[in-house]
Amino acid sequence: MFTLYKKELTYYLNNPIGYIITVLFAVFANFLFVKDIFVVGSASMRPFFNLLPWLLLIFVPALTMRIISEERRNNTIELLLTMPVSESQIVLSKFFALCTLIGIALLLTMGLPISLFFLTKLYIPEIVVSYLGSLLLAGVCIGITMFFSSQTKNQVVAFLTSVITLFVLLVLGTDFMATIFPKTILDFLNYFTPQYHLANFVKGVVDMRSVMYFITLIAMSLFLTIVSLEKRN
Amino acid sequence: MISLSSVTKRFKNTLAVDNITFKGQEGEIIGFLGPNGAGKTTTMRLILGYLLPTEGKVSINNLNPLKNRVEVLKQIGYLPENNPLYQEMKVQEYLEFIAKIKEATNISEIVSRVGLQEVMSKKIEELSRGYKQRVGLAAALLGDPEILILDEPTSGLDPLEQEKIKDLIESLARKKTIIFSTHILSEAEAIATKLIIINQGKILYDGVKPKGKGAVEKLFKKLVKE
Repeated sequence: MFTLYKKELTYYLNNPIGYIITVLFAVFANFLFVKDIFVVGSASMRPFFNLLPWLLLIFVPALTMRIISEERRNNTIELLLTMPVSESQIVLSKFFALCTLIGIALLLTMGLPISLFFLTKLYIPEIVVSYLGSLLLAGVCIGITMFFSSQTKNQVVAFLTSVITLFVLLVLGTDFMATIFPKTILDFLNYFTPQYHLANFVKGVVDMRSVMYFITLIAMSLFLTIVSLEKRN
Repeated sequence: MISLSSVTKRFKNTLAVDNITFKGQEGEIIGFLGPNGAGKTTTMRLILGYLLPTEGKVSINNLNPLKNRVEVLKQIGYLPENNPLYQEMKVQEYLEFIAKIKEATNISEIVSRVGLQEVMSKKIEELSRGYKQRVGLAAALLGDPEILILDEPTSGLDPLEQEKIKDLIESLARKKTIIFSTHILSEAEAIATKLIIINQGKILYDGVKPKGKGAVEKLFKKLVKE
């Protein structure tokens, strides 16, 4: 499995598209946070972590859309599936390679808390836990995009279907929904949105229910991807 | 040993393979002949467990490729039709990648056997079709598999390259079961020890190669026209 993981990671590291998307993500994330920091007058990382899901919504599918659809288009999927590796090994190695890349992209935003650390008193464990939550959320985005990528030969279709699905998930957690649904339904829906669970991490709390929420979503999407590879008729 | 017993494969409304039964033993070079769309590639994919049969049973050395997928694939070297490769990789990288997956240690032996020494540091996308075919063949041979399944191994190659691939297949035959599909009847006549002729998903002939120059072509034309 490590061989497959290394191959996937090397592809992105040897390919301009990997660098472009990773660096663009870091530039956007840093810029969107920094542009308001002096206006708001509050030196906290919370606005950054509230913004992050919307950035992941675009950048993760952009990075992930090719992961299986390109193999289908080039027919290298036949090569992979006729080698002595299981479908789950293929899917997991691709997933972890993408997690590593998103981890690198998130590391590129570490300049923000480091800068703030010199300006104000930051509670480091809260920042660490927030990054952990963001990585889990990125894992969900990767898993969902991998599933859609396994359904088509067309990367654009994989990208759009993933963005739409993730958008619906994220929108359910916004205040906008309060204008549509009554509070009881909203509270219920809220529990299924990533922002609700990320908010716990951003507060510096590792709530096991939130950890389980993210892990369950990741496991479900990876399971469906594996099933999609197994069902290759 | 390869064994297919009453195997049928249906894609929605299309019957690709219709109740076929055959066996392949060690030391045999099976020429798998048939016109386009006859069911050759589907049959090969069924043997590998890449496709699931609608009916019937496939077994490789008494193992079911669907239940023991990884075990079975360790015993098979496969060159798919149109030879899909990771074009962005260098030949060396690609063969090392496949060797690691197959836990193979015979890269240098295979490289010299297939004749890839000069292009090891080149990217696959820069290679000629002939060299690309050799890379695919080298990948199939890594790990010294007992069974070789080669789907149109000489397709699109010039006569000189075709000759080299034919020689290579012949030299491998003693300890292996080799199934190769081809459109080129003279090729089957030159290297096959056994012939399977398939048309519209049905096996029309399964037996020893007829002797004499042009006998394969005569048999093929007779059966396929019928």
